[in-house]
Amino acid sequence: MITPEKPLLAEIISISQDTSDTKTFEVGFVDKKLQKKFSFMPGQFMMISVFGFGEFPISISSSPYKTNSIKFTIVNVGNVTNAMHKLKKGEQIGLRGPFGTGFPLQKFRKKNILFVSGGCGLAPLRSAIYAVQEKKSEFGKISVLFGCKTPENVLFNEDMNQWQKENFNVLSTVDYPNKNWKGNTGVVTGLFKQVNFSPENTIVMICGPSVMIHFSLIELRKKGFRNEQMFASLERLMQCGVGYCSHCNIGNKYSCIDGPVFNAKDLEKLPVKEN
Amino acid sequence: MNYILKKEDFPKFLELLKKKFGKVIVPAKNETGATCFQSYSGQELFLESRTDFSAKEFFRPAKEKMFSFKKKSSSFEVKSEHDNTKKVLFGIRPCGTHALSTLDELFIKFLGEDNFYSDKRKNTIIIALQCNEACENGFCTSMGTSQASGHDLLFIERGHDFFVRAETKQGTDLLDPTLFKHTSDAEPSSKIECKNELDIEGLGENLYANFNHSVWKEESERCLSCTSCTQSCPTCYCYTSNDEFVFGSGTESERFRVLDSCQLQRFTKVSGNHVFRPSREGRLRQFVLHKFSYYKKYHGMHLCVGCGRCITACPVKISLVDIANKIQKHPLEFQKHSLEAKK
Repeated sequence: MITPEKPLLAEIISISQDTSDTKTFEVGFVDKKLQKKFSFMPGQFMMISVFGFGEFPISISSSPYKTNSIKFTIVNVGNVTNAMHKLKKGEQIGLRGPFGTGFPLQKFRKKNILFVSGGCGLAPLRSAIYAVQEKKSEFGKISVLFGCKTPENVLFNEDMNQWQKENFNVLSTVDYPNKNWKGNTGVVTGLFKQVNFSPENTIVMICGPSVMIHFSLIELRKKGFRNEQMFASLERLMQCGVGYCSHCNIGNKYSCIDGPVFNAKDLEKLPVKEN
Repeated sequence: MNYILKKEDFPKFLELLKKKFGKVIVPAKNETGATCFQSYSGQELFLESRTDFSAKEFFRPAKEKMFSFKKKSSSFEVKSEHDNTKKVLFGIRPCGTHALSTLDELFIKFLGEDNFYSDKRKNTIIIALQCNEACENGFCTSMGTSQASGHDLLFIERGHDFFVRAETKQGTDLLDPTLFKHTSDAEPSSKIECKNELDIEGLGENLYANFNHSVWKEESERCLSCTSCTQSCPTCYCYTSNDEFVFGSGTESERFRVLDSCQLQRFTKVSGNHVFRPSREGRLRQFVLHKFSYYKKYHGMHLCVGCGRCITACPVKISLVDIANKIQKHPLEFQKHSLEAKK
């Protein structure tokens, strides 16, 4: 962990517009030595400061094997992310982290992997997909399922094409198709029937809206997946990243230090859906 | 070593401290009539009972500056705040000293030091004042916090004088020999009996197992989400961080952390306006469980010192002692209603 409290300066190296409201920022620490030492696990998050506007938690969406720079995929949804979207190449932000647990990929060797993502939930998973792609020979069959609202919201088209070339089973679906959309329609759980490998030797990683996670887990359990095989990354309000502010408290766990990646076994015991 | 301080010498002692340290914090009434801790400037002290507001303000202020950012051409300068002013806190009650040791667990021992807290903590000399009577709604005897701990000096009021017990060298150094005289008197008994009683045997586990108990709904129905409980609590520390521009500067901004309250909906609101704890039932449960269950799991102690301030402050008389006792006496059958069984 790099300093629990003080944000360290980082510079925006490049910006790419993914969809109308989503941009991917490539950043690097101003202190080159820090950047050299930097490492993270897919699924971990960092706190980004836009000076004068505030701080927000965001998952890392770049490969853990390419740490010359760090990429964040950010949707313009609130005050601070809006300020972030106005920044240009060469401007500076503050970074703290990485925080939280990641996906324990080293434990998944020789297994088939199923990625289930909804909307911008693909961003934290992309880091894990890159990692699997890097060590492809160590894993079995790989599937990437992706669901979003409209064809305009589809993220990372280039990456998806690349993954398809690598023989990954890439399936996407939208809720509201347009005339040009040739793929699937409906929710992401509808894609499960197109994935044909046995539950026994498969690991599932899920990230998306909490409703999507909830129903994905239900459907997968019906298909015979055990809790130990399924991991989900949860979204919560976070202000500190180190268990100080208590915003991300879920039952007797903190999403920032015990999560954001939880095993489905833990999720079952936690009051994820409180009234 | 024990000492005696005559009551007529007490103002002299405070003046002496003020001269030496510049800042002495004492319990007194504020302009609205509420009792709280404030800087000493000759005002009348409030020594009858514990204050309405805790000494939290001097360790975890309601609004605390963390960083200042200054834009310099294309780069930023990030400065961390340090508060190195020495001060003396007089009149904190035993429950208050325990509240500080409880917060130490999180902000000093858990993941390394939080400088904003530990600066203030290390630069403050603590003079505790023993309670001779139980206060309204307090339940410190149940929580094991009726005797002070972690303080430098302990004052016990005895009619015409104070009996003073020195605990640390830092504390002994404050005892001016012209005012304080050695004594061989036995220490006055400081046993108090609280009317409120809480059964803390297995409390954390039991409350968590009764996550779906009907008492949460029953009690929260009259809750107003006014946050009086979390504001008056000496251990409630949850915060939100805010950035603010320095007015008129154009290149400077500052980051503050502001005490937040789990009783508000916005406490769990994420982008897209999704609220994870929308009902008062869930938020009241969060308050009680954080105190007795979650904090204990991580830090080995309750986040409650039994001062009873939340009960006194509540306008609709919701009492966490009542809630906890109801569950302790009539828990749901674990198998039937527990969280795990519901899924």
